Amino acid sequence: MTVHGDSRASAFRRTWRKVAASTAVLGTGLFLASCAKDSPQDTWKPKGDAARKIDNLQRPVFLVAGIVGVLVCIAVAYAIARFRDKGQPIPKQSHGKPALEIVLTIIPFIILATIGAFTARTIVQLADTKGCEMTVNVTGQQWWWEYDYPVTEGNQKYGITKPIVTSGELVIPAGTCVLLRETSRDVIHSYWIPALNGKKDAVPGRVHENKLEADKPGYFAGQCTEFCGLSHANMRQWAIALSEADFAKWVENQQKTATVYAETDESPEAVGYRAFRQNCSRCHQVNGMQNADGTPTIAAPENNIVAGSAPNLTHLMTRSRFAGETFPLLNEECTDRLTKAASDQLGAVYLEGVTSSCLNRAQLEAWLRNAPEEKPMYVKPDAKGLLRGMPNLGLSEAQIDSIVTYLQTLK
Amino acid sequence: MAIIEQPRTDVALPAGAGAPAYVTPKQAAGMFARPVAPKGWRDWVFTVDHKKIGIMYGVVAFVFFLIGGIEAGLIRLQLAAPNGKVLSADQYNQMFTMHATTMVFLFVMPMAAAFANYFVPLQIGARDVAFPRMNAFSLWTFVAGAIFVNLSWFLGGGADGGWFMYAPNSTKMFSPGHGVDFWAFGLQITGIASLVGAINLIVTCINMRAPGMSLFKMPIFTWMVMVVQFLLVFAMPVITVALFLLSFSRGFGGAFFDVKQGADPLLWQHLFWIFGHPEVYILVLPSFGIVSEVLPVFSRKPLFGYKFVAISGAAIGFVGWGVWAHHMFASGLGPISVLVFSMATMMIAVPTGVKIINWTLTMWGGKLKFTTAMLFAIGLIIEFTIGGLSGVTHAVAPSDTQQTDTYYIVAHFHYVLFGGAIFGLFSGFYYWWPKVFGRLLNEAWGKANFWLMVIGMNLTFGPMHIIGLQGQPRRMYQYDESNVHTRFWNAISTIGVFFLTIGILCFIVNVVITHRSKNPKVKAPLDPWDARSLEWMTSSPPAAHNFDAIPTVHELDEFFHRKYAVDHDTDEIKQIATAEDIMAEQMAHAEKDIHLPSPSYWPLVVSIALPIIGFGVIYSHIFIAVGAAVAIMGIFGWSMEPSVAPKDDFEPPAPTDGNIKELTA
Repeated sequence: MTVHGDSRASAFRRTWRKVAASTAVLGTGLFLASCAKDSPQDTWKPKGDAARKIDNLQRPVFLVAGIVGVLVCIAVAYAIARFRDKGQPIPKQSHGKPALEIVLTIIPFIILATIGAFTARTIVQLADTKGCEMTVNVTGQQWWWEYDYPVTEGNQKYGITKPIVTSGELVIPAGTCVLLRETSRDVIHSYWIPALNGKKDAVPGRVHENKLEADKPGYFAGQCTEFCGLSHANMRQWAIALSEADFAKWVENQQKTATVYAETDESPEAVGYRAFRQNCSRCHQVNGMQNADGTPTIAAPENNIVAGSAPNLTHLMTRSRFAGETFPLLNEECTDRLTKAASDQLGAVYLEGVTSSCLNRAQLEAWLRNAPEEKPMYVKPDAKGLLRGMPNLGLSEAQIDSIVTYLQTLK
Repeated sequence: MAIIEQPRTDVALPAGAGAPAYVTPKQAAGMFARPVAPKGWRDWVFTVDHKKIGIMYGVVAFVFFLIGGIEAGLIRLQLAAPNGKVLSADQYNQMFTMHATTMVFLFVMPMAAAFANYFVPLQIGARDVAFPRMNAFSLWTFVAGAIFVNLSWFLGGGADGGWFMYAPNSTKMFSPGHGVDFWAFGLQITGIASLVGAINLIVTCINMRAPGMSLFKMPIFTWMVMVVQFLLVFAMPVITVALFLLSFSRGFGGAFFDVKQGADPLLWQHLFWIFGHPEVYILVLPSFGIVSEVLPVFSRKPLFGYKFVAISGAAIGFVGWGVWAHHMFASGLGPISVLVFSMATMMIAVPTGVKIINWTLTMWGGKLKFTTAMLFAIGLIIEFTIGGLSGVTHAVAPSDTQQTDTYYIVAHFHYVLFGGAIFGLFSGFYYWWPKVFGRLLNEAWGKANFWLMVIGMNLTFGPMHIIGLQGQPRRMYQYDESNVHTRFWNAISTIGVFFLTIGILCFIVNVVITHRSKNPKVKAPLDPWDARSLEWMTSSPPAAHNFDAIPTVHELDEFFHRKYAVDHDTDEIKQIATAEDIMAEQMAHAEKDIHLPSPSYWPLVVSIALPIIGFGVIYSHIFIAVGAAVAIMGIFGWSMEPSVAPKDDFEPPAPTDGNIKELTA
């Protein structure tokens, strides 16, 4: 090779090294940057008993798997380096050594049997639901979760004397084991709050138990994890653990019914009340709402929706998100305040609810203007005239305005 | 009916020259005459030659690989950044459903069938498969089913329930379009192809091995193919039942998954995964077989622990039936079932680990040549190990309830299927290309292909481990940062797809330049890799009758042992013959008249009937009758076609020296 060629080759090598080095630095930097940011659904950050049991099991398993992987890579790399064809004679045509073979079969067997024993123990522990005082019925449907707190002996201890029906956000007392009884009204969904426990499918026609317990008050993200059709990606849930005192306040508020406005009342709230009753109460229940003749307004979602259910909106403004937890009901600033609240502050912030200064009004209005534009849903009626999701109701801007005004009273 | 093919009279090497003299019947009993030594496209469409069928399987499967790849690319583009807008929710759901369906049923399975068809008869010293017309029927039925599934794109949209198609989300109420109907009936059709092919290959492996080839002298690729065919025979009926339940629920008011009428939707999951888990081994074992051929050849050593590898393959085949519910750890089975399936799943890792260890030890102490085929095989060892180990973390059921249905599992099975199945298939492309086409693929392009695919697959699927552990569920058309902070890794993953795309383009370019090249160097020598098994004892490409004389087998790696022997004085291995010597020896002992099956129209006719019935099920029941009529006509014609021609049916008359070898037709 000529001198010129040599220098060109080494220049190339230098450039290459520079590129490689800067790529490595950049890559590492980006890697660290991306790790620094906590992901709310991180599966390795348990904040409750069940999730911690899982975490204690999975960490050593991942470690062992990693070590085995590295060993295999080293063995292959060694074989590549050591036994490349350097003109050595054709090796002896050996078909293997049975003794070595058996030893190398027994080693993985022992490793796996050990992992198996610990796995078995954890499976049994996680299935044990004794000592779960509270019960919440969790029902999935396209594409939101309903929570129903029945009046049971255990629940009464927490002040639940009237059934509470809410949606999207599961509110639980911290430090208490809560038994979820999951089912579905249409297709299969799966309930998952990674910080508190693994997934459990909600299957129509079956009730599956799953327990959640949060160590401390907190705001825990989750998501439906069984593919459930068009808007599966938008079927979210959060679990909010409150201190016992805060939880008692929440329970007390949830059991109240909504304000009734006189038919003659012309205040903006009362106009919105009637607009809601006319346009929304076919599907959405507001406890306490009355018809013009004074009879209670009972929503009939079963006549309109395939799943036969729509979120109960009696206390809409106590939730931080809406529409299957797809959209924030709080504006950006107030969302930040809630999600970044310290554990001991969380209850106070959450119980404030959606104040008028915090309301994400634009998003709520957009939803009322044309819901299927915001979140994909099947709103073409099927053969029986039923929908899956909220249709475009064709509301006027004035109606939207007054309905939003009314919704703000649902605290 | 039969072709009498006369062996070449010229012994000029390299072989492959000289058109065989076809002598074929004029007429078949009362029906259309059987096609006679057709030319051009007819030669392919009516062929019953296992090699031509194998090539066609491969070409069709590769086209679907590209289609499935484009679907994958669109999925990754959509997910490149939060709140992607490339696809709508509906399009995205169709895209991931069809991506998986295409890659599993229309690429990996038929590509494995392509290799099996082509090489099993060659590896066992046979002249064709046991039932050549059934073989053609398998091919065309697969093609019919594959096209049928994909027609849904043009007739109202693809299936949108995920390839696992969980009921009740797949029932008419929740998926009102025709996508799922096309999917269910199309897979029913491709299932027929798999079943027929499986029986064909099992009979071939058991009955048609060359004299002296006991089961433990059978090449390992053929072994793995045989295990897979048994898995198919038992797995396909299960998915057939499931698909019928689904089709009847959707089209004829069946209530199999209607909870209101007392159905339990978990029925579908059990049926699907009892099929679905063996299916995983159906996808990956042929590739295990391929690398178990490639590693010994380029290590110049026999497969370490050949019997262990063969038996562990069979063990995987058996234990694979007892692990299906590990796909259902979150579906509410109850702790006892979860525990049992968790333990069984860990145990299946043992025979799988045996294979990894044996491959590594095959290289150990060898004389390694790093051809592209070898690189892909080594790539498989590493990538599959990563996928296998993440599989062990999934076997830990409590941990699985955190990671299932997140991107972590997407990472897992892409390491297993891309790093395992697809790397194995690419290894096979480079290894056997000279055998099939008589030309050597370019090694420089091959290495570019390999490295781009390795980088691409690790960039694409590696970050998915992290994305999944950070809690991003799969099957979401969009993600936003309110609950997952995975923007960076999603972007990397999408960048990986560009590397994969360029890598696969390198392969296509490689094929094109190899076949356009006038350079005499691309012409493959008789034994380009100094190989070990029987398929290399034929010309490249092999003559229609494969072997001039059926070899008698004395050893595992018969071909190697004919070329090399231990010198008793020096205890060194010495070459005693070249491939050319062995070929010449074969030709010298060529059988005088070799009887091969004639082409046939009927397999194609029966295959075409099936999608017509499918249209009938979906649109108008009249077509069911039309399709059935075509099928009956086809079966009638098929059965009237004599499999053995009377001697006077030949023109010129058949030789009379009685040295005719019959093959079933």
